[in-house]
Amino acid sequence: MSEPGSVRFPLEEHRLENGLRVILQPDRSAPLVATHVMYHVGSKDERRGRTGFAHLFEHLLFQGSEHVPREGHFKYIQDAGGTLNGTTWFDRTNYFETLPSNELDLALWLESDRMGFFKPGITREKLDNQREVVKNERRQSYENRPYGLAFETVLHHAFPEGHPYRHPTIGYMEDIDAASLEDVHEFFDLHYGPNNATLVLVGDFDPRDALARVERWFGPIPPRPIPDRPVVPSPLGRGERRRSIEDRVQVPRVYLMFHSPSFNDAGFEATDVLTFLLTDGNSSRIRKALVYERQIAAEVSSFTWPIERVGMCFVVATARPGTSADELERAVRGVLEDVRGGGIGDDEVEGALNRARRGLVGELNGFGDRADAIAHAAVLRGHPGYVNDAFPLYAGLRRDDIQSVAADVLADDRLTALHVVPEPGLEVAA
Amino acid sequence: MIHPTADRTRRPASGDPRPLVLPSFEAIDTATDLDVRFARRTGVPEVSLRLVLEAGAGGEPAELGGLAELTARLVTEGTADRDAQSMARWLDRIGAAVDASAGYAVSMISAHLLTDVLDEALDYLAAIVRSPSFPSGEVDRVRGERLDEIDRQLDDPAVVAGQALIRELYGTGLYGRPAGGTRDSVATIERDDVTRFHAERFVPGGALLIACGDVEPDRFADGIASRFAGWAGDAAPPPIPTTPTPGKSAVVLLDRPDSPQAEIRVGTVGVPYGTSDHYAIILANAILGGLFNSRINMNLREDKGWTYGARSSFRFRRGAGPFTVQTAVETPVTADAFEEILGEIDRMRTEPVGDEELLLAKNALTLSLPLQFETASQITEKTSRARIYGLGDDYWATFRGRIEAVGAEDVLEVCRTYLGRDRLLLLAVTDAQAVHADLQRLGPVDLRPA
Repeated sequence: MSEPGSVRFPLEEHRLENGLRVILQPDRSAPLVATHVMYHVGSKDERRGRTGFAHLFEHLLFQGSEHVPREGHFKYIQDAGGTLNGTTWFDRTNYFETLPSNELDLALWLESDRMGFFKPGITREKLDNQREVVKNERRQSYENRPYGLAFETVLHHAFPEGHPYRHPTIGYMEDIDAASLEDVHEFFDLHYGPNNATLVLVGDFDPRDALARVERWFGPIPPRPIPDRPVVPSPLGRGERRRSIEDRVQVPRVYLMFHSPSFNDAGFEATDVLTFLLTDGNSSRIRKALVYERQIAAEVSSFTWPIERVGMCFVVATARPGTSADELERAVRGVLEDVRGGGIGDDEVEGALNRARRGLVGELNGFGDRADAIAHAAVLRGHPGYVNDAFPLYAGLRRDDIQSVAADVLADDRLTALHVVPEPGLEVAA
Repeated sequence: MIHPTADRTRRPASGDPRPLVLPSFEAIDTATDLDVRFARRTGVPEVSLRLVLEAGAGGEPAELGGLAELTARLVTEGTADRDAQSMARWLDRIGAAVDASAGYAVSMISAHLLTDVLDEALDYLAAIVRSPSFPSGEVDRVRGERLDEIDRQLDDPAVVAGQALIRELYGTGLYGRPAGGTRDSVATIERDDVTRFHAERFVPGGALLIACGDVEPDRFADGIASRFAGWAGDAAPPPIPTTPTPGKSAVVLLDRPDSPQAEIRVGTVGVPYGTSDHYAIILANAILGGLFNSRINMNLREDKGWTYGARSSFRFRRGAGPFTVQTAVETPVTADAFEEILGEIDRMRTEPVGDEELLLAKNALTLSLPLQFETASQITEKTSRARIYGLGDDYWATFRGRIEAVGAEDVLEVCRTYLGRDRLLLLAVTDAQAVHADLQRLGPVDLRPA
């Protein structure tokens, strides 16, 4: 089925009467089926004073429902030889499991019970327990990790007061503490209807049979009013923002975030390729100049997040001992100015495209990752077939396309700069 | 559309399982001493390739810890024909992801690439394996980068805890330090050490090249044969590290003031691959702390809410790797968390596990095999692991049967043998002022700066 360097996964799209979008991608190459349910709700939908709630809520959906006992999800799925998880981000929350393909009904039972029969299973005890787990997740993954608070600090300064993308998905401690059982019921009613969800199956099944099973488990769940989407003001026009924070680290790190095309905007793919050109590979622009030649950076990375309504393109550099955050930022921005100024070559674009293409394939080779990519494209872009269209889209990019987004995106007035510097006494000398 | 109502009140019945067919590798003759194995996998236009070399940290002179890792990182940094930047431009244009790194047992060069660049990628791989030139300027640069990296990793309390634990358990033995070496040992490595290590250990004898992907087997065979023909040399596996006698139980507290959490570890010297009780150990660990539904995670996370997660592992290696329980808990409950973990280990040692619990663990380990052999990269990883540790070509094919044969009494027996309370070391990295007094109830506390 594959031709060199390109991939096409056949997709079937259906919609149940209750509005649940169903996408089937049969692939009989392994005796597995990936089941993925993505709800169109994330941290940008949280109300004021309840940051982190979408994520805390996701934890509660692993605590059982009317017909599934507490810890039942983990028990049943592991007992069947599967894997499972859930994640929350700005725009969406997902729940997924990959199982041997003879267990498709198990996945559909668990996911449909979550969607249709959650409320009778929730208790204050479960909420309080998972609240503590999530607070410990925040401590472990953010507060007690080097540079762990950098991203939330960037968001806080890049977006104005009240902006839906201003706070991190994990949320702030005081808001996690404030979440009540009433919030849980309200959030479920508002966001967890079948018509606000997309179900993706990838793997070893007959599409007709699978659709009938989906209909049987999910069909009776009534639709609910679709929630209002938050107003997302443009973050542009506020000029360059900067901030410096101390952390328990030995060397400074500089985060440069440029407001860039969103996942839905023209220019997203070109921005993605630009990030490969900047920092992926030892010959990439910033790595070559700062890590290899000047040896003032230990690590550099660059990426653009596929977000629904705004775009964020990051360039991150960690100093070698003896280099200050200011020096490091000047050096990075010097390279970015060269790139903006027209210096991109055809050969580096070819390489960046090849690396980006290989990366795309790597995100689609497993059933679970592929189901995630399809659901993400369906929920954020309204177009699941993007997983297939992406290959020709990327392949069609030319030097001028990359040059043009570089000139637009890497502008000073789109920049939020964060310096994370060592607490006094921790900095190491060169 | 008509839909008969589903019965939600119980777990739906399973369908008929499709049998697991493990990928079958064919051997390819390349007119070298190199063992080459290839399995075709169609559907996605990619190839995963791994070259496993008898060039792990175990083969280093003890005083040059980190030589294997430094050598692996330097093979990409220049050949007789190309300097480091020329090599980088070459690889970056091909677009393959190539990683060269060293573990305790072997060094591995891994590549993930699209099928349309296979020929060029093989040219590149042959160049870095057979003819790196190790320019002295690049050796100095990469060694400097490694030293900074070693320092920087210690910003992370989880790394501090992990490194301190293995130092306590293994002392100056190989497994007592990171496979990549320590600051002191890496600082002494010279270019001559690197060239010698490469000449002695980057050889086909004892090595394995394993690949899986969407390529005609003949094309792959020709591609390898033409690039590796004439390559010669032999490297025997280094001696297997001796197993230290587990020390007496102790409590070690590394002070990191104002930590919001404690990184805690409970550990002891474990076992190597290949013991007769291998499968019972795997099951015991799954029940104790290997699965999400394990006793330790259910207790500390789902019952107490003290942590985001807790798990245990036996690190099987050529020699006896560590057994470790690891978690990060909110600082005030540090001593309580140790007690709960010790309590769970004690229960494993004194009461046989229940039938249902044992069956769940067996199912989780065996019914998941199709998932563990899903992608090309997983297939080459699993298969090369069987080779590295001498598990036999039938390790994965016989895995299910051997796991199913384990009984509750076998699980009890391995826990009694390996997890005695008197050999468990307790270690925490956190704010000493907040936990020191509490920890005394677990035994005398050895307090040091982190």
